[in-house]
Amino acid sequence: MTRALNIPRPARVRCGDGDGVPVRVNGEAVGWLCESWLVEDRWWTGEPLRRRYWELVGERGRNVIVYRDLCSGRWFLQGA
Amino acid sequence: MVVCVHIPRFELEVAAASSRLGRRMLAGQALAVAPHAGAGRSQTGGTAPAGGGRVGEVSGAAEARGVARGMALGEALARCPDLVLLTGDPVRVAEVWEAALGALEGIGAAVEPARPGLAYFEADSLRAVHGTQQATIAAARRAVRSAAQLAVGGASPWRVRIGAAPTRFCALAAAVAVRSPRALVLSGGEASRWLAARPIGLLGFQEDTAALIEPLTRLGVRTLGELARLGRAALCDRFGAAGALAHDLARGEDRPLRTRQAQERLRESMEVGDASSGEALGRVLGVLVSRLLARSERRGRTLRAATLSARLLAGGGWRERVVFRQALADAERIWLALSVRLRSLPAPAATLELAVERFGPPLGEQEALFEEPSPHRTHPSVAVHGRARAHSGARAAARAARLREAVAQVRAVAGQDAALRAVCVDPDSRVPERRVVLAPVPER
Repeated sequence: MTRALNIPRPARVRCGDGDGVPVRVNGEAVGWLCESWLVEDRWWTGEPLRRRYWELVGERGRNVIVYRDLCSGRWFLQGA
Repeated sequence: MVVCVHIPRFELEVAAASSRLGRRMLAGQALAVAPHAGAGRSQTGGTAPAGGGRVGEVSGAAEARGVARGMALGEALARCPDLVLLTGDPVRVAEVWEAALGALEGIGAAVEPARPGLAYFEADSLRAVHGTQQATIAAARRAVRSAAQLAVGGASPWRVRIGAAPTRFCALAAAVAVRSPRALVLSGGEASRWLAARPIGLLGFQEDTAALIEPLTRLGVRTLGELARLGRAALCDRFGAAGALAHDLARGEDRPLRTRQAQERLRESMEVGDASSGEALGRVLGVLVSRLLARSERRGRTLRAATLSARLLAGGGWRERVVFRQALADAERIWLALSVRLRSLPAPAATLELAVERFGPPLGEQEALFEEPSPHRTHPSVAVHGRARAHSGARAAARAARLREAVAQVRAVAGQDAALRAVCVDPDSRVPERRVVLAPVPER
């Protein structure tokens, strides 16, 4: 009955050569990188949370926030 | 015939099971339940416990070293330096004990729960169901053991001690005295003679008479027979009502059973994530209250008593029973009554649970047919402002009533999840999905 808002959804992300910077998100080329930040949380538990967030603007002008789960290596879309 | 079911050191057994200690370790090592969760020394070693407090239940080995339940932590460690403290888990204790009581009710017994690990029921009324008294006792033993094992998830058998006697206190004395899996059954005359030789420590099982043990021991009274011979008037004169009660108990007289009424339990729980304490935890509580009030099983009934419990991040749990001054169905007032209790949470929580323990009568929806005029006479200029304020208040109330009605209709058509509102649970969280949740819109 209660559910969280803004749940992350899996995303297809292609990165640049070796630098881990996203260049394509769900088939759309990245036009502009706005900001990047790291979230490390719950490291004191058995399920630590480590995410590298990227806020970017796609070539069609859409603002998108994606992150890479540094524990599993998978990419997620969270807020568009 | 009253049957007493006793599981010795119940809280310690549950704490040991939660910390995955083996039964062999429980039998051979000096263990005690730590004063409160989060402050105790764990079984894996670590820091010394902080603060004062008193230890909970202790193992037989700890008892042999002079440590007793309720002893100050400093004294317990001084008497037994290698005492291992287990984090108490009142939430798990309540769950396992509730499962055991449910199992007893499952064989048809009307149960009076005294405290976790101790319960009574009347056996005569079950003779028609199970045949003989022995068959009833065997069924009770099987039910409690299987329920406790299922709840704990262990294969090792729990020690379930059973005594049967004409009165409640005699049955308790029999259950405490018995050392084998076979039940001790005492008949009328035999019970009072047998009781006379029992130690006065049995008075500690009753809250009203527990304080008498220490002064009676100093006076040289060792057995219940010696206590009964002192005379009721002398005990009343010295100890008041507690003395009279102790005299009755020593003679084997006790009140009839007060059995509980089996009723449904509604509960809602939520993982709190980063909102493990403070204001953020209060918002989680708000969500739980909304969810509980939105449950269709409530059928419009008010809440009389509720249990607020939490699993702690550091291990163990915390539990508080809250009885409201009046039966409530208003989310804000329920939240106000419960949020005060969150301050006594001993450590950050991992999950928070709210359960209805008792329902009150359904909330009446009837309103006044005509708006009642104010009984106070006021100055005309003040009266103009007062009328304007009353008018805007009436409009707000009408709007709220329309909204409630709309929510109820939407829910009736499209289900419980149809009308939701966004609630900020932890707006400052660094993890976006933990900031806002969708919760049901309260109908009242």
